[in-house]
This record gives sequence, C-alpha cells and structure tokens, in this order.
Amino acid sequence: MNTLKTFTIRKSIQEDNIKVANATRDFLKNQNTFLINVMSSPGSGKTSTLVRTIERLKNDVRLGVIEADVDSDVDARAVQNAGAKAVQMHTGGLCHLDATMTRTGLEELEVHDLDLVFLENIGNLICTVGHDTGAMRNIAILSVPEGDDKPLKYPMMFEKVDALIINKTDVMPYFDFNMEVLEERVRKLNPNVKIFPISAKNNTGLDAWIEWVQAEMKGQ
Amino acid sequence: MHELGIVYEVIKIVDHFVVENQLTHVEKIVLEIGELSQAIPRFIEDCYPAAVSDTAYENTKLEIVMEPAEARCKNCNAVYNLIKERKICPNCGHDAFNLLSGQTFNIKEIVAY
Repeated sequence: MNTLKTFTIRKSIQEDNIKVANATRDFLKNQNTFLINVMSSPGSGKTSTLVRTIERLKNDVRLGVIEADVDSDVDARAVQNAGAKAVQMHTGGLCHLDATMTRTGLEELEVHDLDLVFLENIGNLICTVGHDTGAMRNIAILSVPEGDDKPLKYPMMFEKVDALIINKTDVMPYFDFNMEVLEERVRKLNPNVKIFPISAKNNTGLDAWIEWVQAEMKGQ
Repeated sequence: MHELGIVYEVIKIVDHFVVENQLTHVEKIVLEIGELSQAIPRFIEDCYPAAVSDTAYENTKLEIVMEPAEARCKNCNAVYNLIKERKICPNCGHDAFNLLSGQTFNIKEIVAY
C-alpha cells in the first residue's frame, strides 16, 4: 500500500502566463516591434480610436492590429481599411486574452516588418487586466456615457494601466460626467497615469495621445 | 466565466508536477484563492468535475483554502479586512491603504503518492 504524502507546490497559475509574456516582450524588443494592449468596456470606441490613430501614424510607422473578439470580423475590416495590417482572433467565448493567445495572434500577423502593433483586447474591464499579454504598454479607454464612477467600480483596470483615453468627449454636454472628479478618482489609484480626453468621432484631442505613443516607442 | 480555463491551467500544472516527480496517484489538489482574486471559488468547484472528466484526475478531490483580503491603513497602520470593512479603516476611518494579501491564486499543494 502506498502512503499518501503532501507535496507543496505553491505555484501561481499566472506563472506560466508571465513566462510566455516575458518571452514575447523579449522577442518583440529584439526586432523593434512595440506592442500596446488596449482594454475597455464593449462600445467605448476601441476600434474607432484605433482607426483615428492609424490614420495619423500610418505614414511614419508600419502598423498592425490584433483584433480579439468573441465572434465576427467587423473590427478587423475597419482597421484594415484605415491602413493597418490586421488579424482577427476569435476567443470562442473567453473573456480575455492571455500571453499564449497573443503570441498566436502575433505569429498570424507576421510582425517582423511592423513597428507598432495594437492588441485590441475583448471588451471587458475585469478579466483582461488580470492577464499579462506580453505588451510593452497597457492602456484603457473609458467613454463619457459610461460615467465618471467607473474607477470606483473597476479599480484594478485604472490602477494597472500606463495611459487612459477618455473617449466621446463630444457628448459631454448630455451626460453627468465630471472630468475633474474622474481624474481625481483615477489619480488616487494610479498617480502617474497619463490621461487623454479625445473624441474619435470628431477627430479631436488626439495629438497628445499620438505624441505619447511615439515617445513610448522611442523610449521602449 | 473564465473559471473553466483556470481549472484546465491548474490540471496542466499538476500534471507536469506529477510527471516530473513520478507520482502515480493524486488524492487531492489544494488551491489557495485570495478573496480579491479573479476566480470565484464556487465556480471553480462547479467546473472542476467537467475539467477532470475522463482524465487521470477524475477521482482527485479538490480543496479550496481562502486567503483573506487584508490591507494596512496608510494613515494609522491598522491592518484590516478590506471586504468586511468595505475599504474603510475601522480604526481611523481613512480609505487609503496598501494591499497586503488577497490577490493570490496558487496551487498550494497536492496529496499524492
């Protein structure tokens, strides 16, 4: 009769994911490709913000986008029309991208001739931020109609990102959205985060955001 | 609902450990889950049978140990449970804190031979 023994493992299930994510960062750095992970709720304007960003960067930078969705390819077509190389990934119901899925997307995209790749994550403010994708920078988009109380409800997202875009500022007059209150709430969680109020629809406010992307790419 | 993916990941890591240590039978897997972790213990328990069905771990038990969400108040240094106190220090009433624990999701140990 075999005796049962207790084996201590103490291993986080994130450990393997972090390993893959770090390997992805090394791989991208070696070939000078910069990866930005874009997170937000569904409908905050990830794709339209990316389309505006692509329009402004495409003459100087070779661009790619990995679109992650539970289903459909409408977003991939939109960014392709704007001038970026794009692949569509279907997660089949999964609510976030992990490092391995991101790696698969990068391989499909064939990133060797790209300078900048955006990873458009699944629309979800909770699970996406808990998984390192291998990106160099993580950003979130919050849109005005969602409300200035989102940082109170989903603190982890606002705590972890390097930059926050506030989209749909054009509809500000119709909503009780207070930019100062929002900024105060975000800074409490994340004092150094960069905040960029924009309207992707009216194509306004994007200069500071574009400058930030260019500076981060140079600084790696 | 991402718990099923998490359970598959757990099984993968356990399996790796079992092969590496040449074990033949796993009686129990013990997980350590933080109160603030992204996994909900009840959902983990619910999808576990589906994940181990038709595998070598079909009869392996699952045990979950909770790790409390503890924080230290930035104002008075008191340590308190974030969820119970709703993020407000019960000692001085401030809401600024440093998180001490609660985000863990570990495979703590396995009982096996």
